[in-house]
Amino acid sequence: MNSTTAFAEERNPTDWQGDAMQKRIRKRYAAERRFKALGLGAIILSAGFLAFLLIVMVGNGLRGFTQTELPVEIDFPAMTGGASASQFEGANAVANLRTLGVQDIVNTSIEIQYGEEGSELFSAGGWQAVNAEILNDPDIVETKATIYLPAESEIDVAYKGSGSASAEEKVAELKDQLSTGFNWNFLSNSDATDPMQVGIWGALKGSLITMFITLIIAFPIGVLSALYLEEYAPKNRFTDLIEVSINNLAAVPSIIFGLLGLAVFLNLFGLPRSAALVGGLTLALMTMPVIVISGRNAVKAVPPSIREAALGIGASQMQVVFHHVLPLALPGILTGTIIGMARALGETAPLLMIGMRAFIATPPGGIVEPATVLPVQIFLWSDEVNRGFVEKTSAAIIVLLLFLLTMNALAIYLRNRFETRW
Amino acid sequence: MTGSILFLLIIVLGGIAWFFGRVKANRFAANTTKRGAIHSRPNYHGWYVALWAIGPALLFLIVWNIASPALITDAALTSPAADQLPQDPFARGAILAEARSMAAGQQTQAFNPLSKSMVEPYKAAISHYRTLGMIATILLVFACGVFAWLRLKPELRARTKIERVTMMVLLFASLIATITTIGIFVSLIFESARFFSMVSPIDFLFGTEWNPKAVAGPRGETGFGAIPLFWGTVFIGAIIAMIVAIPLGLMSAIYLTQYAPLKFRAWMKPILEVLAGVPTVVYGYFAALTVAPALRDFAVSIGISGASSESALAAGVVMGIMIIPFVSSMADDSIAAVPSAMRDGSLAMGATKSETIKKVLIPAALPGVVGGVLLAVSRAIGETMIVVMAAGLAANMTANPFSSVTTVTTQIVQLLTGDQEFDSPKTLAAFALGLVLFVVTLLLNLIALRVVKKYREAYE
Repeated sequence: MNSTTAFAEERNPTDWQGDAMQKRIRKRYAAERRFKALGLGAIILSAGFLAFLLIVMVGNGLRGFTQTELPVEIDFPAMTGGASASQFEGANAVANLRTLGVQDIVNTSIEIQYGEEGSELFSAGGWQAVNAEILNDPDIVETKATIYLPAESEIDVAYKGSGSASAEEKVAELKDQLSTGFNWNFLSNSDATDPMQVGIWGALKGSLITMFITLIIAFPIGVLSALYLEEYAPKNRFTDLIEVSINNLAAVPSIIFGLLGLAVFLNLFGLPRSAALVGGLTLALMTMPVIVISGRNAVKAVPPSIREAALGIGASQMQVVFHHVLPLALPGILTGTIIGMARALGETAPLLMIGMRAFIATPPGGIVEPATVLPVQIFLWSDEVNRGFVEKTSAAIIVLLLFLLTMNALAIYLRNRFETRW
Repeated sequence: MTGSILFLLIIVLGGIAWFFGRVKANRFAANTTKRGAIHSRPNYHGWYVALWAIGPALLFLIVWNIASPALITDAALTSPAADQLPQDPFARGAILAEARSMAAGQQTQAFNPLSKSMVEPYKAAISHYRTLGMIATILLVFACGVFAWLRLKPELRARTKIERVTMMVLLFASLIATITTIGIFVSLIFESARFFSMVSPIDFLFGTEWNPKAVAGPRGETGFGAIPLFWGTVFIGAIIAMIVAIPLGLMSAIYLTQYAPLKFRAWMKPILEVLAGVPTVVYGYFAALTVAPALRDFAVSIGISGASSESALAAGVVMGIMIIPFVSSMADDSIAAVPSAMRDGSLAMGATKSETIKKVLIPAALPGVVGGVLLAVSRAIGETMIVVMAAGLAANMTANPFSSVTTVTTQIVQLLTGDQEFDSPKTLAAFALGLVLFVVTLLLNLIALRVVKKYREAYE
């Protein structure tokens, strides 16, 4: 006791104003500022990367929604030998159109206008646009019409930006005639070999069917097991096992689920390859743990007083859960479900395992028909060497990101809208 | 298609059964004036009848779908066309399978002429058994429905029975996760065992040459040494990605929790979360299209030899960025869990904020941060699309980040998306790789969770 007071008396008071101290303080403050700047820098770098990614994708992808067109003058009366408009109305329209030989008519018109090698300027399946035009407005076959047809992919790329040297030359020649239109086909077509003909509708439809199957399997199972684990499960080894397996499943790499789907659904049960059914089942197993975990939190958040009140007026345990707890927990469960579904929508690897990487040119008509989904379509297009596919891939990415952002925004909205403070 | 129509029919009949059950219960509920004479509400009586109508029929349908293929084959084999079939069980099985899928309309062309002759008997057998099954199912719906309906009376404990069934459904639903886990484990083990009967596990785990395309032949397989894949996976997922993700994630978390104004935090946190929500195929495309060529040009300009357009660096950096939000939210949680008394104490002693963070908060939160990093590593090594699209296929054991390396997940995709023969070591190797991946990520997750848990308890 005495010695410490003696020590304090002997010590000189700290010289706060001294040069050495001021220098030390300045140094420490500088370190402080550096550290803070470092933190801000880290955040800005991360956010900057996201911005960079989005800018690159949008920059590349917006051009994918447009297509370069060239006008073709088609003298229908001369070429068809006098077909009448009435032939292309009503039930026989498509059959009559087939006998008309539109492809030859278009090719001849192109040759007349652009010379021998004119057909090389146009997209191979572009003549189908004329078909659509005739069905849309049959009167056109009795007139001399100018129809805009999609240009060939090289020309398209060159006109929009940077193409090969030879394509650039052609573009310079045709500059006055080329024009750009919105590419409706991109929204309504499916996969094709020609980048001018591809569209996302097939993949989008496949995605929607797959998501539907995922939802109708994962949601009930997820909700029911969340209810069981929170409301009924006794605390024993058996329920511990269930709990551990749910938490582990949530962290298993997605490709492992693909291997499971391949070994069990395809090889053991013999379900059809590439089908939305198998994709949906596989993704459901992946999504279910996410729903269970968020569902349990939502159920846990319902205050016990509600349960006790219901029990107090004579409800059975089951009535308490299904009439009171579940409705109150539902918004929270839905938020978790949407987040889980968004994850499933962006998933690619497990679907590659079950064969959803085939070339599929028609949208799937049912759950057992071969289908592809949007992320897999993106993956397949990213492998294409043709330059026209770059912008199509980015355009498909924009569509996928829009879907995901909408789902996430919906989840955030639901969370804010139904967030209850008990 | 007939299967789903039958299913819908059963459901509709169940609805009708529900209605009749309810009507009957309503009638005797109205007739009894004595309180408590009717045990359950009429609704439960309705459900009671509906469950009786649907349940047994659905069970029968499942059993029938499992049993009928064997019956169909037996029936088809009694036809005269079956006499020409070869005795060899393998050839026989192949022909039968082909005829079967043609009869079901899944296949239009026959590779074996014999199977064409079997299509007609198969079609006949299928339609015969399908009709049989349909009639039996519908009879079962009616029989059980009527049986339950006749049993309805005021004192029937319908609610208790319904609740018992519901309880079973709940229990079954929660078992699905366990079944899936077991399913993953069994299927991986089973297929890997077939692989290891052809390739020695020691060669697989410790061999340094990966070249599954140059398989020598039955029993003499080489080229399945997976060490280069393990190295590539670790190099990309645990080294390069973490060099990017740990500093950026940690500093972001520190800034957001300690320095950022509330409004800034409210905006930045969701923006960082968007990074985690971007599908990995998009990251993969971005890495392959933009990052990898830029890195290659950079490497060439500073004179690094062996720079490839598919590089470990491109895949690793992009993967690291994908994981930033993950690391940052784990760090965020564990920093927030440090008692504020410790922070306040340090600040009161005159330490600056950054000194407090570096000397008090981070050391105290370290176990949580380490646990988060382990989880991030586990996620990175299981990640597929980025490495498939940007890391390349060459099984190199190199420490040069500009060269191409390959990973476990890339090879799984490669092995399983080519031609599909399910007995070749090539396809089975994918399952062995999957098993290794599953075990490693599982261990990492368990360790990480234990570390996080233990640390949390320390302050409570």
